[in-house]
Amino acid sequence: MTMSRQGVQPTEVIDRAAKLRFRWNGKRFSGFEGDTIASALAAAGEHIFSRSMKYHRPRGILTADYWDPNLMVQVGDDPNVRAGHRLLESGMDVRSQNAWPSLNRDIKAANSLLGRFLTAGFYYKTFMRPQWLWPTYERVLATFAPGGKIDLDTPHAYHDKRYTHPDVVVAGAGPAGISAALAASSAGASVLLVSHEHAVGGHLRYSSDAADQAALTELRAALDASDVEVLTDSTVTGRYEDNWLGIVQRNHPIAVERLIKARAKTLVAAPGLIERPYVFEGNDRPGVITPGAARRLINLWGVKPGERAVVFSANADGDAAVADLERVGTEIAAVIDGRTGGSVSSTAGSSRAVEAVMVNGTNGAERIDADLLVVAAGWTAPTSLLNMAGDRPIYDPTAARFFPSDPPSNVLATGGLAGDADLDGLRQHGAATGRLAAARAAAVRHRLQSRTARALPVDGDEPAWAPDERAPLGRDPHPELYRADTHGMVDMSEDISSKDLVAAAHEGYDSVELAKRYTTATMGPSQGKLETVNTVAAIAEARGETISEVGTTVWRPPYAPLTLGALAGRMFEPVRVSSIQPWHEANNVSVIQAGQWLRPDHYGDPAAEVRNVRDNVGLIDVTPLGKLDLRGPDVPKLLSLLYVNKWMKLGVGRVRYGMMCAEDGVVLDDGVTGRLGEDHYMMSTTSSGAGGVWEWVENWLQTERPDWQVHVTPVTTAYASINVAGPKSRELMSRVCEDADLDAEAFPYMTVRQATVAGVEDCFMWRIGFTGELSFELHVPAGHGLHVWEALMDAGSDLGVGPFGLEGQRIMRLEKGHFIVGQDTDGLTLGPSTGLWSLIKLDKDDFAGKPELAWAADRSLPMVVAIQPDDPDVVPEEAAQIVRGNTNEILGRITSSRYSPTLNRSICLGQVEPDLAAGGTKLTVLLESGERIGATVIDHHAHFDPAGERLRG
Amino acid sequence: MRGNGRLGRKRPPKYSAAALAWKGLRGQSWPRVWRDCDLKRSYDAVVIGGGVHGLATAYYLARNHGMTDVAVLDKAYLGSGGSGRNTAIVRSNYLTPEGVAFYDRSVHLYEQMAVELNINVMFSQRGHLTLAHSDASLRTMHWRAEVNKLGGVNSSVIGPDEIKKECPSLDTSDHPRYPIQGALYHPPGGVVRHDAVVWGYARAADHMGVEMHQKTEVTDILCEGGDGPDGKGAGGRVTGVRTNRGDISTPIVINCTAGWASLISTMAGVRLPITTHPLQAAVTEPVKMFLPTVVVSGSLHVYVSQTDRGELVFGASVDPYANYSVRGSLEFTEGLAGHVLELMPGVSRMRILRQWSGLCDMTPDYSPVMGHTPVEGFLVDVGWGTYGFKAAPVSGEQIAEAAATGTTPKLIEAFALSRFDDGELVGEKGAASVGH
Amino acid sequence: MLLVPCPNCGPRNSTDLRYGGESHARPDPNTASPAEWRAYLYLRDNPAGWLRENWYCASGCRRWFSVERNTATNEFRDPPLPGDKRGGAA
Ligand SMILES: Cc1cc2nc3c(=O)[nH]c(=O)nc-3n(C[C@H](O)[C@H](O)[C@H](O)COP(=O)(O)OP(=O)(O)OC[C@H]3O[C@@H](n4cnc5c(N)ncnc54)[C@H](O)[C@@H]3O)c2cc1C
Ligand SMILES: [Zn+2]
Repeated sequence: MTMSRQGVQPTEVIDRAAKLRFRWNGKRFSGFEGDTIASALAAAGEHIFSRSMKYHRPRGILTADYWDPNLMVQVGDDPNVRAGHRLLESGMDVRSQNAWPSLNRDIKAANSLLGRFLTAGFYYKTFMRPQWLWPTYERVLATFAPGGKIDLDTPHAYHDKRYTHPDVVVAGAGPAGISAALAASSAGASVLLVSHEHAVGGHLRYSSDAADQAALTELRAALDASDVEVLTDSTVTGRYEDNWLGIVQRNHPIAVERLIKARAKTLVAAPGLIERPYVFEGNDRPGVITPGAARRLINLWGVKPGERAVVFSANADGDAAVADLERVGTEIAAVIDGRTGGSVSSTAGSSRAVEAVMVNGTNGAERIDADLLVVAAGWTAPTSLLNMAGDRPIYDPTAARFFPSDPPSNVLATGGLAGDADLDGLRQHGAATGRLAAARAAAVRHRLQSRTARALPVDGDEPAWAPDERAPLGRDPHPELYRADTHGMVDMSEDISSKDLVAAAHEGYDSVELAKRYTTATMGPSQGKLETVNTVAAIAEARGETISEVGTTVWRPPYAPLTLGALAGRMFEPVRVSSIQPWHEANNVSVIQAGQWLRPDHYGDPAAEVRNVRDNVGLIDVTPLGKLDLRGPDVPKLLSLLYVNKWMKLGVGRVRYGMMCAEDGVVLDDGVTGRLGEDHYMMSTTSSGAGGVWEWVENWLQTERPDWQVHVTPVTTAYASINVAGPKSRELMSRVCEDADLDAEAFPYMTVRQATVAGVEDCFMWRIGFTGELSFELHVPAGHGLHVWEALMDAGSDLGVGPFGLEGQRIMRLEKGHFIVGQDTDGLTLGPSTGLWSLIKLDKDDFAGKPELAWAADRSLPMVVAIQPDDPDVVPEEAAQIVRGNTNEILGRITSSRYSPTLNRSICLGQVEPDLAAGGTKLTVLLESGERIGATVIDHHAHFDPAGERLRG
Repeated sequence: MRGNGRLGRKRPPKYSAAALAWKGLRGQSWPRVWRDCDLKRSYDAVVIGGGVHGLATAYYLARNHGMTDVAVLDKAYLGSGGSGRNTAIVRSNYLTPEGVAFYDRSVHLYEQMAVELNINVMFSQRGHLTLAHSDASLRTMHWRAEVNKLGGVNSSVIGPDEIKKECPSLDTSDHPRYPIQGALYHPPGGVVRHDAVVWGYARAADHMGVEMHQKTEVTDILCEGGDGPDGKGAGGRVTGVRTNRGDISTPIVINCTAGWASLISTMAGVRLPITTHPLQAAVTEPVKMFLPTVVVSGSLHVYVSQTDRGELVFGASVDPYANYSVRGSLEFTEGLAGHVLELMPGVSRMRILRQWSGLCDMTPDYSPVMGHTPVEGFLVDVGWGTYGFKAAPVSGEQIAEAAATGTTPKLIEAFALSRFDDGELVGEKGAASVGH
Repeated sequence: MLLVPCPNCGPRNSTDLRYGGESHARPDPNTASPAEWRAYLYLRDNPAGWLRENWYCASGCRRWFSVERNTATNEFRDPPLPGDKRGGAA
């Protein structure tokens, strides 16, 4: 086959004045602006573009468009580029993908000789023994992986997304799609017209017929004059629930690819038809092409596809190809008419090119020399978007293709998908579809607006759901041409032949789904667009059934592949920091990720931070602590319902610790809640629990106790929170706190006060402390956090004030034996396992989890206990297992462990079986190193200051 | 008791390289993988669901217990449920001792499967990395590693440098929003060719006389003596099943219908702690091999491996709302891509080729529900959620034993339906909830 | 993307809401037997068809509401969604 560039064609899309240079497998080439990579290469006489996956057979142009399975190339760091579609750019580095050492001489082509052994699924039947060799076999098999190469240094470039809410989206911009878009727009709908190709027009683009060209000009002019938004080189990739559409725009000026998400009120599916290859011996030889490929090459890019052609035609497209070929001087050796019984049975030639075609035409069986075979055997209806909407298309044997059955009423098909007609007929059906789409969209719009309480009121009654009164398109008869009297390739990307499929069916893989899985037919990069119906036909043949009986597979999204980059878009993962963060950063902070928050972990030496808190005074930024502002007369009842302990008698100004359990009795969260005023409470939650607890509170209030009067407002980030801890904290606080009496009697442990701190009004503070020291937890309006922090630092410099981070706090809380929900407890830890039995008030009428907590008394539950290793210098890992002696029987685990700078020894919390929970029990702890050490359960959770004297101070 | 169900059947040809060559040379074809049988009116046992669990159960009923008068019924084709849609990750690095022992047995059975079933199931023990992006998840990885080691499972926590060595495409720097802090590394973990496992069990069971019936939908379960309507419910016993092809009488019915488990159990008057959620997966176009291990990130809700065909296969967490539709969503692929690029920024040019979805039978404690039920003769092997493929061999083995002997084997005691009456859930929930 | 009909905000993308699962009544905590309570905790009807369920309008009005949805087709019953007659589960 020799392809070459011809003189200027009236319909061509190349700009012969704009020459583009590029490389193909390292060699220099040139083409014109408007060329695809493939057309430029074809014009330069290249005819082998890839090697097949299994047999590494040379492959040439088949359809010369996006779906061409033989035209996958690597462009720079971009693998699997569709050379039949991607426009040529200057400087492109294009390489073939599946060949080694080169496209022309490929070592694995030797596999062809083994073809009869490498039948589909052969790998299931061998390599079982010896078992130890399988990993080696596997590595060899993996070298057959087709496709390009990725470059791990490729940056995740700019990929923004776009959201849009058009009334009507039209997928496909052939004459029917354009007409639908125009009609919908005239009817007042906002319309998005999506063209998979680089320009609108569909099959009119590559038609040399004068009437077609006139119509195209007219339609384009009408589009230009309309309000229709047109996207070219873009594809509706999926139709999801409620007409949520994914659209990939490949020609965005900045983004590599842009994902557009459209909520269409109606979707018009007008994707046209896809040419279906014919199955016969040698059908994958370079030089066998579809009529569309011939016509695109000639009319769009001025490329003559061959010198001497045989055309097998069963439809008008084949006939049109004959005319185009003749016009550019390709000799037509024969036209074999599939409508009158003519057939093609094979090609002959080298592996690299067609040299002759065996036909059965009006002259009987004959061999005709030719370098080109154009095969017009029919179409596949790409019903994907309808499938995704739940439709099961139905096969019509007289038209030899599938048609929509009963799609949802907000998805309308037109064009080739819906039937056949001449150009006027298609335009009329398209226009009628557009009007219907617009009318239904108007009804949807009305309904959406009226259903939304906060939307503007909408006038009038909802328009009636417009009935479908379109005159249906006809169906042109077409012979059922799937396979000739010889076997050939059904799936070019996977190297699956009709013989493979028939054998698979005979083996029992005789439904489409089983055969597809067994042979991998249709699983390759062309997604079955070309292969599915031929696969179905092969199975039908093997089973002796009709295509309708066998049925088709479900087409799954996406309609055309799209990049991970486009799908990912930009990262929207906010980082949360407190308003004090600038100070932390200026002071050598090490941060730790805590959910979305970045929190100070320490400032260089956490042990020193601990000692400073124990000896002097320290500040920690605890802003992420969850805070819910609760107001209303029924707050005490709410608290009693949510916490396991009692809340009806909490006085104004008092604070109380509470534990929450879920309905299954499992510890959910904990924290303190204070009463700021008569009907005003502040609840604190763990940092990680803040969001979940809020939802949970709302759930109880709205669904179980809707009559209660409580307002819940999350104020976590409305306040910056600072814990001031240490024996000198009162002194420090008194220096910045203007209007509160901080004296131990006036402001005792477990109380809350409102105050002005460092000149900032509306702060509140409570006297509690996770660290076990005298401490004041300050909550100041968030914008003033940094100011107050700095004021405290200034005021306390002579007191030795210093910051401490999460790590220091964790050490101190462990010294005090306070458990952390989710670390010392897990998804099965019931309330009593924490040791806080006395907190759980079963005499309350009701509270979350009450029955389970009541029954827990009779169950044998693991217990959270404080543990000290016998060797004070050994710190067992958090996760070290507690085992029975020298056995592997697990009796518990260490959940928290640290070296205590206060006690100069290792300290732990752990969960153990109940019979090991008593103080003094000896345990065996298995370290990660494998070493077993002794440890002892201590009497109470607190390793330090069990009486809590420092705290109350 | 080791059954030999090959009564009167000609032994079908074995698969081997030599047989392939012989048949290739002679141009011979292979016999059917499993026979097309007429549906009988009665069987010793009926397995509902022709997924990997149903087929493994049938295989072990025949192989270990000599029960060959067994029918496996599927409303569609074999493997049409989760078994043909999963991402085929096999591992045993679970959190609880009972989980570890159970899944370890399964991995062991997988290792022998190709030889035992005489079909190459392509079990690729390429190593399995579960990434930790936070302190808390790293702590859970350590916990799992310790429990694994005690159960004799090869599993340890490794740091970013070692992760980079195992899997160079991962971004182990501190640039990502949630940097990789470590990983649980499980060398025996990997992937298997799921279809081959399904067909292998079907073929081997068929050779012993078990019948596979596709397009056979169970529409009711026939019971007597139960406390509910039509003799269904607790205290009763099973007498048969009703199908779209007629009634079948049988004393034993085993529910292996995963995502449809509740519907089948309801037919026997048994309520289950299950909700059905779709789980989605997606595959890219192939590229040359670059990802040697299976990579999972719990915090980023994504897992990925590269097939021998060069495609990346992804999965994520189940869809947020209960659903029996498998149409899939765009937000799934968007979230997936975002998370994958967090892990491996270099793959942004790879294209998603196909997405799909399967139904998962989720339980409150991320553990299965297995064994006898309050209806005599009605057994369940369900609650397989997002992790049931790897469990198929051991489940089949154990459920077959339960069905054939009427007992509850030790390995599945922890997974009994009655645990929900007693409030004794399995601790895998612990791992799931310590996510923060 | 499913549109979920919040009674206040109108149809919203499902990602704006949190799924609350099957609606079921909470037994009296003082009289419930373990079997009843645990059925409430764990057992579900899980039908393939109409299901009354709860949603939380998390990114919208923060309302918990209950609505009927067909779990096989994803249709909502009250209030029905705009002109969307769906086919069966694909
Ligand atoms: C996307 C995805 C990824 C997954 N990834 C993994 C993974 O990596 N590792 C892992 O271990 N697990 C994974 N799983 C889970 C795993 O696939 C399942 O747990 C497992 O396949 C369940 O097997 P099964 O045989 O029990 O059920 P299924 O394979 O679902 O089979 C149930 C069968 O029951 C049939 N059936 C239903 N109702 C009836 C009826 N009324 N009459 C007759 N037949 C009926 C169905 O047609 C179906 O074939 C994944 C699941 C999905 C969906
Ligand atoms: Zn709302």
